[in-house]
Amino acid sequence: MKDHSVDHTINLEHEHKHEHEEEQDSLYRILVPDVRDLPLTPPSAIESNFVSYFAPDFTKPGHDQYVYRHANGLCVIGLARTHVAFKDTSGITAVDFNVGKSDRSGIKVTGKRKKNAQHFESNSALCKVNTDDASYIVRCCVKGSLLEVNDRLIKQPGLLNSSADREGYIAIIMPKPADWLKVKGSLLGLEEYKKLREC
Amino acid sequence: MANANTNNTEAAHVSIDSEPAHVISTAVECHDDDDVGALHDVVQGLPSHAVKDLLSVGVCTRCILRLFGIRGNIYSISAISPSILNSVIGEQRHDEDISSNSKESEFEEVLCALCLGILQFTYCDDKEIPVKKGSANDMAVAISELVKREGYQIDSFSLEVSVPPIILENEHSVRLYMKRKYGTEPWFQGGPFSQSISAKDALKFSLAKPLETLLDCKSGISNFRIRLTFSHKSSKVVQSVAVSKQGCKRIKTGNCVNSLDDSVAGDIECSDLADATVERSFDGLQDNESSEFFKFPLEKVNDACHLVLLCQRTPIYFGGRYLKYSRNVSQTRWIIDDERMGEASVEEIIGSNIQPLCQGDNYKFHAAGREDIDVRMLGSGRPFLVEVQNARRIPSEAFVREIETNINNLENKLVGVKNLKVVGIEGWTMMREGEAEKQKQYAALVWISRPLEDVDLDSISSLKDMKILQGTPIRVLHRRSPLQREKIIHWMKIERIGGSSQYFLLHLCTQAGTYIKEFVHGDLGRTHPSIGSILGCRAEILQLDVTDVKMDCFLTE
Repeated sequence: MKDHSVDHTINLEHEHKHEHEEEQDSLYRILVPDVRDLPLTPPSAIESNFVSYFAPDFTKPGHDQYVYRHANGLCVIGLARTHVAFKDTSGITAVDFNVGKSDRSGIKVTGKRKKNAQHFESNSALCKVNTDDASYIVRCCVKGSLLEVNDRLIKQPGLLNSSADREGYIAIIMPKPADWLKVKGSLLGLEEYKKLREC
Repeated sequence: MANANTNNTEAAHVSIDSEPAHVISTAVECHDDDDVGALHDVVQGLPSHAVKDLLSVGVCTRCILRLFGIRGNIYSISAISPSILNSVIGEQRHDEDISSNSKESEFEEVLCALCLGILQFTYCDDKEIPVKKGSANDMAVAISELVKREGYQIDSFSLEVSVPPIILENEHSVRLYMKRKYGTEPWFQGGPFSQSISAKDALKFSLAKPLETLLDCKSGISNFRIRLTFSHKSSKVVQSVAVSKQGCKRIKTGNCVNSLDDSVAGDIECSDLADATVERSFDGLQDNESSEFFKFPLEKVNDACHLVLLCQRTPIYFGGRYLKYSRNVSQTRWIIDDERMGEASVEEIIGSNIQPLCQGDNYKFHAAGREDIDVRMLGSGRPFLVEVQNARRIPSEAFVREIETNINNLENKLVGVKNLKVVGIEGWTMMREGEAEKQKQYAALVWISRPLEDVDLDSISSLKDMKILQGTPIRVLHRRSPLQREKIIHWMKIERIGGSSQYFLLHLCTQAGTYIKEFVHGDLGRTHPSIGSILGCRAEILQLDVTDVKMDCFLTE
C-alpha cells in the first residue's frame, strides 16, 4: 500500500523515521504564526464570544449591572464597574446567596434539559453583596431559568473587587427567546453605556 | 455452524436411498438421468396411502417430498409434478388439472394448501400481478435479472427467504393429522417427519444452484443478500398465541434446526424470528393442548402469496485518518436555519469522493472524536470511518489509493486523507475502543497580559499529570449537562515566538474530552486551574491546532 521510494534498499524503519521528521518539520512551519499578523492586545474571550449589555440603575439608582449574552442564548449576569457598591472604600467583603425564598447557591440543576432550574423574573433577587457600610441586592435583570450561581464568591468575595467583569460574575441565566426579546429593548449596548456613565 | 455448501450443492445425497446422485451439469435444465432416476427410486419407498392422502387434501408434490425429509438436488428439477408420484400411488390421476400426461413439466392449477404456492413458484409481484414461473430456473432468471439491472458486482451471494407464519401452522396441523392417523404404522416409527425440510429451505435448495450458474458465483455467507419475503393475507393469529405461551423467547437463527443452508448465519430477521418462535412453541405443545389450533382439513387457498424481492449489499466501510487544514471547515455538515456554517465539511468532502465510486445509495461519516470548526487537525490525523450503504461495486485496493490521491489533490486543500482502505466491521470497534482514554496533543497560540519570563517556562513544564476541574463550558452549557468534569493535563511545554514577549505557543497533551480553550482562558473561573491562574495573569487563546490523536487504528503500516 505504501508508495516505496525508488531505492528499495532503504529499510522500513528508516523510512518511517524520515517520514515522521518531515511531518514534524512541515507541522512546525504551519504552527508558528507570522508575528506581524498578531494584534498588540487581542480581544478577550468575552469580547469575542459575548455581546455586552448594561442595565444602569436597575430598580435603584447606582445599581449598574451587566448582561453578557452568548450566541447560544445564555446570559451571564454581574456587577458593572460603575456599581455603587464599589464606591465604598472597603470594597466588597461578603456575598450571600440566601435571599428571597431560597438559598440560590443550593439549587442543583441537572441534565441537558436543566431539570430543577428555578424560574425567576428580571427583578428577582440573586444575592446580597455587603461592604463594611452597606448591603446591596443584585437582581436577575433577565427573566429566565437560573442555571448556576458563582458560589466561588462565597469564599472569595474579593473576586468582585479584582475582576467583577470576569471571575466575579454573579450568575448564569437561560431566558426563553421570547423573554429575551422583551427585555433587550430596555438594556443599553456598550457604547451607550459608556456615554451614559462617561467612562 | 458447518458450511453446508459442501453437502448440498456439490454432491447430493438422498437420505433414504444410500446411492448418491450425480452432480448437476452446468446447463441447468438438463438433469442427469441418474438424478431423476434416483428421485424415482426414493419416491418408490414412500408409503403410498399416506402420499395419496396428502395429495387429496391439496398438498403439492414438492411439499410432500419435503415433509418426508427427502434431501438432495431434486428441488430444482422442473420435472416434479404429481405424475412422478403416480408410480407410488399406483394409479393415473384423472383431474382436469393435468393438461397432458406426456409432458414432463406441468402446471398445477390449484395452489398448494400447505406452501400457498411458494414451492410451485407461484406468487403475486409488487404490482399485485399473479406470476407463475414454470420452474425454479425461471424464477432464478427473474432474480438474476434484477441483480444485473441494479449493476451489482458480486463474488458471492446469500439467499434468504421468509414465509408467512400460517405455513408453519398448516405444517403442524398436517403432521399432527399424520401422526394421529398413521402413528402406529411401522413406517411412521422411523420418524420420517422429524426430518422434514422447511418450505424456506426447500425453496432455497431449488433456487441456489440455478442462481449460482446465472450469477457465476457461489451462494453462502456473503455481504450481498438476496431476500425473498412472502406474505399472505390470511397470516394472523397463531403467532400471538404461540408467543404468549413461550413468553416471547428470542432465538438466534443460528440454532434453527432445519437450516442446512447457512446463508442466514447470524442474521436475525423479523419473519425468521417469528418462524423460529412459532416452531419452538409448536414443539412444546402437547397433542391434547394443541387441538384448539388444529385445523384439518386445511383451508383452500385462493390467493397466492405476495412476494417482495430485495437485493442489498450490507454496508461497506472505508477507514483512514483525516487532516483538516482550514479554520473554516466543520467536521460534519452543519446547517442552522438553512444556512451552512463554514464553507465545507470534512464529512462531505470525503464522503462525496467515496460514495459515487462505489455506486452506493448513501453514506455515513463516523470519527473518533471531533474538533471545533476553527481548529485545525494536523499531524497524523484523526481516525474516521465512512460507511457506504448498498454499494453496487467494491473498489479495488488500487482504486482506493486513487480515491485518496484525488481527495489530497483537490484544489482548495481544505482536507487531507491518509491510509484510506476498505475495512471490515472490526474497524468500528477499533475506533470506539478506548476513545475516552486516548490522549490528544495540541498546539495553542496564547497571549498573556504581561511579558513572558523564563521562570514561566519552567513552572509550566514541571507540571505533569495535573488534575483540573472543568465546569461545563458556557459555550456548550445550553445543550450539555451542567457538570464538573475532572480532566488530566499530562504535560505542557511553552515555545517562545521570536519577536513577541506576550505571545507564545503552548504545546500540551491532555486526556480525551478536555476543553482546551477553557483551560487557557479559564472560562470566568469555571475551569481551575487554568493557564491564567497558573501564571497569575489574564490569558487568552487565539488559535488552536490538534497535533496528534494518540490512537492505534488506521496508522501507516
